Amino acid sequence: MTDPTSVVERRVVATSGGGTVTVFELGSGPILGVLHGTAGLDGPTAAMEDLAADHRVIAPCLPGFGSTPDEPSLRSIHDWVVALSEISDAAGITGAPWLASSISAMLALELAAIRPEAFASLVAVGPTGLWDADDPGTDLYAVSLGEQASLLAQNTSTLGVLAGDPDGLDGDELIEVGVSRYIRRRTAASLVWPLPDHGLAGRLHRVSAPVTLVWGADDRLVPPSYGERFAGLLPEATLAAPIAGAAHLAELDAPAEVAAIVRLRAPAGA
Amino acid sequence: MKALWFHLMPYPELPEGFREDHRSVWVDIDPSLYDPAVGHRAYHDYLDELEHAAACGFDGICVNEHHSNAYGLMPSPNLMASALARSTDDAAIVVMGNSLALYNPPIRVAEEMAMIDGLSGGRLVAGFPVGTPMDTCFAYGMNPATLRERYHEAHDLVMQAWTADEPFAFNGTYTKLRYVNPWPRPMQDPHPPIWIPGGGSVETWEWCAEMDYVYSYLSYFGYKAGQATMKGFWDRMAALGREPNPFQAGFIQFVGVADTEAEARRLYREPAEYFFNRCLHLYPPFADPPGYRTEATVRAGVEGMVKQAADRAKAASGSSKPGASAGLSFDEMVDRGYVVIGTPTTVAEQLTEVATSLNVGNLMLLCQFGNMDRDLAMFNTDLVARKVLPEIRGLFTDEWEHRWWIKPMAADQRRSTTRTEVAR
Repeated sequence: MTDPTSVVERRVVATSGGGTVTVFELGSGPILGVLHGTAGLDGPTAAMEDLAADHRVIAPCLPGFGSTPDEPSLRSIHDWVVALSEISDAAGITGAPWLASSISAMLALELAAIRPEAFASLVAVGPTGLWDADDPGTDLYAVSLGEQASLLAQNTSTLGVLAGDPDGLDGDELIEVGVSRYIRRRTAASLVWPLPDHGLAGRLHRVSAPVTLVWGADDRLVPPSYGERFAGLLPEATLAAPIAGAAHLAELDAPAEVAAIVRLRAPAGA
Repeated sequence: MKALWFHLMPYPELPEGFREDHRSVWVDIDPSLYDPAVGHRAYHDYLDELEHAAACGFDGICVNEHHSNAYGLMPSPNLMASALARSTDDAAIVVMGNSLALYNPPIRVAEEMAMIDGLSGGRLVAGFPVGTPMDTCFAYGMNPATLRERYHEAHDLVMQAWTADEPFAFNGTYTKLRYVNPWPRPMQDPHPPIWIPGGGSVETWEWCAEMDYVYSYLSYFGYKAGQATMKGFWDRMAALGREPNPFQAGFIQFVGVADTEAEARRLYREPAEYFFNRCLHLYPPFADPPGYRTEATVRAGVEGMVKQAADRAKAASGSSKPGASAGLSFDEMVDRGYVVIGTPTTVAEQLTEVATSLNVGNLMLLCQFGNMDRDLAMFNTDLVARKVLPEIRGLFTDEWEHRWWIKPMAADQRRSTTRTEVAR
């Protein structure tokens, strides 16, 4: 018998705004929306596969993050929030529990501030969007590419996926891998350049759904101290204990731990 | 051939151990290294040198824009250009240039350049660089993903402002103005010549070819390393069916002249080493923020000039961290053609080779570089003007028309810039 979590559907959906996005789906059970972090999305991650054991995991790839082409018309946070709203509807995750990481967690919170029904609950891993001059974190774009990868994740197999050369590719294919990584770095940077503060602090009080805040204990980009700041601004927030051995993209470094937190917030039997 | 005298205006007193003790000359350079008294003297020395170059007969004098750095002390080249517009009479004033995306609203560029053009009697060359990543994305916080779109929109606004014959509204993505009607208007009709300084981006040379602008390749690494980029420009020109008029291209070159080869090496060693090992001591990540290079440039494997500089600086030292070693040697700089050093005869030969091999009709010569003092810069400038320029001036002039040169007022119509003597 085929393991249901091994069956991955990859489909391209049209949004009401006229764009298209690639969506990965796997597993069965209640819907769980998953939004990737800074590194983008090429297919199911270990956390998605874990959660697919008892959820229908639906993970759209945002424009410019690998599996969905870049969309130059997305310039401002407002553009992105409108885009995410349309992508959420097209992918069929509006109103479901969500797991979102880094810049996607910021966008999810921005969306919920104007569309409270966007998600039923959110597990936010290392969300960007706030700024504390006394605790700024490391500037991801003022370090070398190798250092960037190690700031995002510290699990060596994850690092290989983020920065290593894939096996079996010829020169032209490797160039395209490099270009794809460059585009997703460009897109991620554009969301937090020069600072990640787009005014989210003044809007978080409008997020009515419960939010669980998760941090990698070794996150040096958005230090774990930001968890308290988010928790203090959100109406209904739970701050999970920082995950040891995980960096900024904790869902990649510690997939089982993050999946366990998601199950607490969005139990399959609920 | 047009010979232009280019000043970067470096901070001249970076400490001996700068590259060992500091990670970058740009963006996060230690503010305590700046001594205002040194800056005061440097600005006056540098303006003296530019004025001297104009008096010696250089066709143009060039200034440019940089921010948060000791490489070049001109956050506002327009301030320097306005001073030079008053103190020189005939030389082109080449502002290379204003980083359009950094002005909000960019109509400020149309206004200030029109002021300089008017003040100088129509001697302005308007340069529009995208700007280095250090200046634009780090020092001025521009989003690298939208920088070029913002730049092109600003360019369109400035050009429309200079050529429209009635006030208009401008509804851009980044700039929205109900009334665009800059006063003053440029002296030159329809506008000053447009030169685009480039550091190697594929799009920049393609755009220059398409827009019929001068492409000025600002390479730190001499004509030998500049061949590929200039070939890219001329290939694009050929593909568009455009003639290979050398006056549509510019190239920058460090030059040091003395009566003997040995004397030239003795005189220019220290300033050259200061420039390449301190002024270009760049921290590599500041030179390549994601999105600054376009997709086409990344795919073509082309790296910008400042990224090359940062990588070479790091390679020369083995590290950009404190404790790193000495850097590039003077002999390497000369051998690789980064600096053209020698007697008037050998320098004229090499500059002829630069101009003809790259097919460039506008040579921007750096006769002051690094910590070269005023006296040596004046000496070098004088020698180049008297003994080198006569040997290269005739290049291209019989065969090609310079369609991108200034059109100043007739001399007898210009207000004299001679200052009134004040009785003491």
